[in-house]
Amino acid sequence: MRVVVILGRVLDPGGITVNRRVGRIFINREKYILQPADRCALEAALRIKDSADCSNPTDAEVIALPRGPLPDDDVLRQALATGADRAVYLVGSPAQADDAVMARVLAATVEQLGGADLVLTGATTLDTGQSQLGPRLAEALGWPQIVDAWAVRAAGERVEVVCQNKTGYVIHDADLPAVVTVTPGSLKPRYPDGVRLVNVYKGVGEIAAALEQWEVADLVDAEFLKPLLEQRGRDFPPMRERGARASGTVDEMAQAAADALYRRVSR
Amino acid sequence: MDFTFSPEHVALRRMIREFAENEMAPLAMELDREKRVPFETLKKMAKIGLLGVCFPQEYGGMGAGETGYCILMEELGRVCTSTAVNVGTHIGIGATVIYLDGNEAQRKKYLTPLARGEKIGAFVLTESDAGSDAAAIRTRAVRDGDHWILNGTKTFNTNGSYADILTAMAVTDPTLGARGGITAFIIESDMPGFTVGTHENKMGILGSATAELVFEDMRVPHENVLGKVGEGFISFMKTLDMGRLTLSAAALGGAEMALEMAVRWAKTRKQFGVELAHKQSVQWMIADMATEIEALRSLIYRVAWMVDTGQPFSQLAAMCKVYGSEIASRAIDMALQIHGGLGFTRDFPIERAFRDARISEIFEGTSEIQRFVIASNIFREHGVRIRP
Amino acid sequence: MDFTLSEEQKMFHSMFQDFAAKEIAPIAEEIDKEERLPLDVLRKAAQQGFLGATLPEDYFGAELDFVSYALLIETLARDCVSVAVTLATHVSLAAMAILEHGSDAQKEEWLPLLASGEAIGAFALTEPDAGSDTEMLQTRARLDGSAYVLDGVKTWVANGEIAGLFLVFAQGPEGVDGFLIPKDTPGLTVGYREPTLGLRSLVVNTLYLEGCRVPAANRLGETGEGGEIARRAQQRMSVALGAVGLGVAADALDVAAQFAAERIQFDVPIAEKQAIQNFVADSFIQIEALRYLVYHGAWQADRGSDLGLDAAVVKAFGAQVARSVTNHMLQVMGGYGYMEDYPMARKYRDARALGIIGGPTELHRVRVAQRVFAEQDLKIVP
Repeated sequence: MRVVVILGRVLDPGGITVNRRVGRIFINREKYILQPADRCALEAALRIKDSADCSNPTDAEVIALPRGPLPDDDVLRQALATGADRAVYLVGSPAQADDAVMARVLAATVEQLGGADLVLTGATTLDTGQSQLGPRLAEALGWPQIVDAWAVRAAGERVEVVCQNKTGYVIHDADLPAVVTVTPGSLKPRYPDGVRLVNVYKGVGEIAAALEQWEVADLVDAEFLKPLLEQRGRDFPPMRERGARASGTVDEMAQAAADALYRRVSR
Repeated sequence: MDFTFSPEHVALRRMIREFAENEMAPLAMELDREKRVPFETLKKMAKIGLLGVCFPQEYGGMGAGETGYCILMEELGRVCTSTAVNVGTHIGIGATVIYLDGNEAQRKKYLTPLARGEKIGAFVLTESDAGSDAAAIRTRAVRDGDHWILNGTKTFNTNGSYADILTAMAVTDPTLGARGGITAFIIESDMPGFTVGTHENKMGILGSATAELVFEDMRVPHENVLGKVGEGFISFMKTLDMGRLTLSAAALGGAEMALEMAVRWAKTRKQFGVELAHKQSVQWMIADMATEIEALRSLIYRVAWMVDTGQPFSQLAAMCKVYGSEIASRAIDMALQIHGGLGFTRDFPIERAFRDARISEIFEGTSEIQRFVIASNIFREHGVRIRP
Repeated sequence: MDFTLSEEQKMFHSMFQDFAAKEIAPIAEEIDKEERLPLDVLRKAAQQGFLGATLPEDYFGAELDFVSYALLIETLARDCVSVAVTLATHVSLAAMAILEHGSDAQKEEWLPLLASGEAIGAFALTEPDAGSDTEMLQTRARLDGSAYVLDGVKTWVANGEIAGLFLVFAQGPEGVDGFLIPKDTPGLTVGYREPTLGLRSLVVNTLYLEGCRVPAANRLGETGEGGEIARRAQQRMSVALGAVGLGVAADALDVAAQFAAERIQFDVPIAEKQAIQNFVADSFIQIEALRYLVYHGAWQADRGSDLGLDAAVVKAFGAQVARSVTNHMLQVMGGYGYMEDYPMARKYRDARALGIIGGPTELHRVRVAQRVFAEQDLKIVP
């Protein structure tokens, strides 16, 4: 069972203050954390590996890949320290690479790895609230996708996923290979193992050799590296309007509410 | 001169900080209220290798060196002094004494399970007449064939009430005193003749266990002699030297947390129409706290580097201990003062920090002993031998 | 200048010492562990006249001079700081406020009850947003016919749970007013008891006032005079707290000196080590200085002089000495100083309170600076 996990990083929101009055975002402390949803995806992968190792002696392998362009391989090292068996740091992604580009790059990477049984990644990103990467990657690979997983069980040829919906839980399943995205807060991520951590950061031992570096140019032609998204500007969302209070008889209040809604809709 | 931490130390600190905030912070007040040792936390730490942070990987440790250990203690000290004391005793003196002077067989048999956190360690020295004057111990060890029989009572012992592996000092030749008359023995808690006596009622660090230990005709095999017969005192003094440094790292952590809390309160609390942050008395306290913290941090990590590179460090470790414990007490006291009444109520963590911090000027060598060590080293360089 | 105590003061002092040795010393450790105020001891203290210490005999008080009163507080504090603060709250904050500002009717109604201990007095000034800054009271007292209606929350009210009478300060129609409110008045609720670092036998509560009706006759002093009443009460309490600091520091020194004389390390008593001698000497010097400052403050009170500056000086210095001496004496006792089975840990925790209760030291320093610069014609605002 080979599980690929895709992880990214995000600015720690605790170090940021937003001042609407002056219209600026201040980064008081530039500190990065792993995307919380991606950490849950890694935890899901490691739990699959733990149970595979227990139930039968076939190799279960977890490989970490980056969600987007990264200035250094720290995210991959963290994944290795936490228990991933291998990691690939991709260099040469264009700085503006959006999820459409990364889906292509990651699909090519998975192929270059010789395929996989399961790809896990976070369902949403903390900063942009985007949920595209998983579905786009599934499209690019031509695999089934299950999104917003709360728990993931994979064995043999199938994956079984528990998802939460408005009223309760639902179980979806699919044939492997498949892409599954994991909800943030669904699983308690484990801490890195101390020995693995020291060795991967010192660059010694087997674990250091497990971190590879690949060139994006070797995986994908340049024409596929043009982003779909074009950033034209940034602004705060419009101020929330104050509501209006209606009073009087029930009929009068109902009419006032209807009038207000009509005015809002016809703007 | 490169003052940056290496990548593995940066990553280690990040991991421990998250662990401390998620696993330890929620328990800190409860441990103090219930006066209990956080066994569950120690197990979680063992699982990720923290209980052997400084020992080489070949003995089951993490291989992060003394610097890694200081980082661990600093991050633990930031959040829960009691837990830091449990861990610091286990690693810094309980296991370290075996690492420094144990033979290969002893390292394999005892150090490895300690480093892996499978067993907990303790260091047994103090007696009712032997506090600062450690050489005045009276616990006796008498040779009997291939065993030694130990008799005596040890007081104020940390971890000893629940540890599995304890290293204790006993007198093997009463005529010789510290030079040649004292031997170190590795004891296992299930050896017949070993009992735990009364638990002490302390002012703080209530999440750590301090108790009396009694040896009554306890038979210890000769192969458990640590180092050479008669050289136990030296082993213990060497071990205490190393323990000092890491205790001061825990003090650093405590002082840092006090500063953080003081700043947060000062920017929130309004009196006389403005936030306390605008009062010069408060600003000056915070500036003094921050300055001392920086000085201590530089001193500690420089000494950690000296340990990791095999340089002599005993003199500087004593400075770290006396300076660190006094800075932490000052910083926490100032933070308490800034919080006013809130600093005095047990519903808020500062008063616990105040009680916890006070012990650091006393245990593992009082500030007076540290000053003696420092002065003694200085005068020795000038050819003068001073006595305590 | 005669620095000796009069024969009468010496006699009183001896009486206080006997009382403390018999009634307080034996239970001091236990009541701290149990966080219990010993009401039976308070009753016995009342029988000795301590609860009406400085009240006139006409009101069944003991009519002690303030120096004797300071000796009383100091002597009690030597054995138990909590008991001393309990008494000082009752006498200096509550009872004396009624004596100095009350109408004849109020004095006749309340002073005998306070002197006999049938009612214990409490003083409710501090609020969640008014710690040092007591001008910013949010508790309101509005006039409704011939009564006031009070609404608000008071925190850190010493003696709360055991009090029969509360002196409560609120923003009235013309400024701050003080009100005498008996315990079971509807709308007055004694709430949560604060668990504390030290003074664990002192009872400290939060007080809730919700539509609490108080007859106008219960207002203390003139309308708008509450601020002045509170200020003078706090000044009296500052001198009393100085005496508390003196007591705890002096006893800490004696306890540690005895320990140092008996504890043998490196073959000699540790008293023979210069580091220990330095701690002891510095402490002794500070205690001596504080002693005469406290007596001087008490003497000023006896002469009816304005206590403003002396109160701030005595309070600030008293807190400093108590904290410094207990800290150093704890260090002298080493590991034993940290164990709750010995008295020093408790004294250390209790002394820490003195830097905060009765106004933080920072506030008293400002008051002193204000006085110094007032002489240079410069007005300083805290």
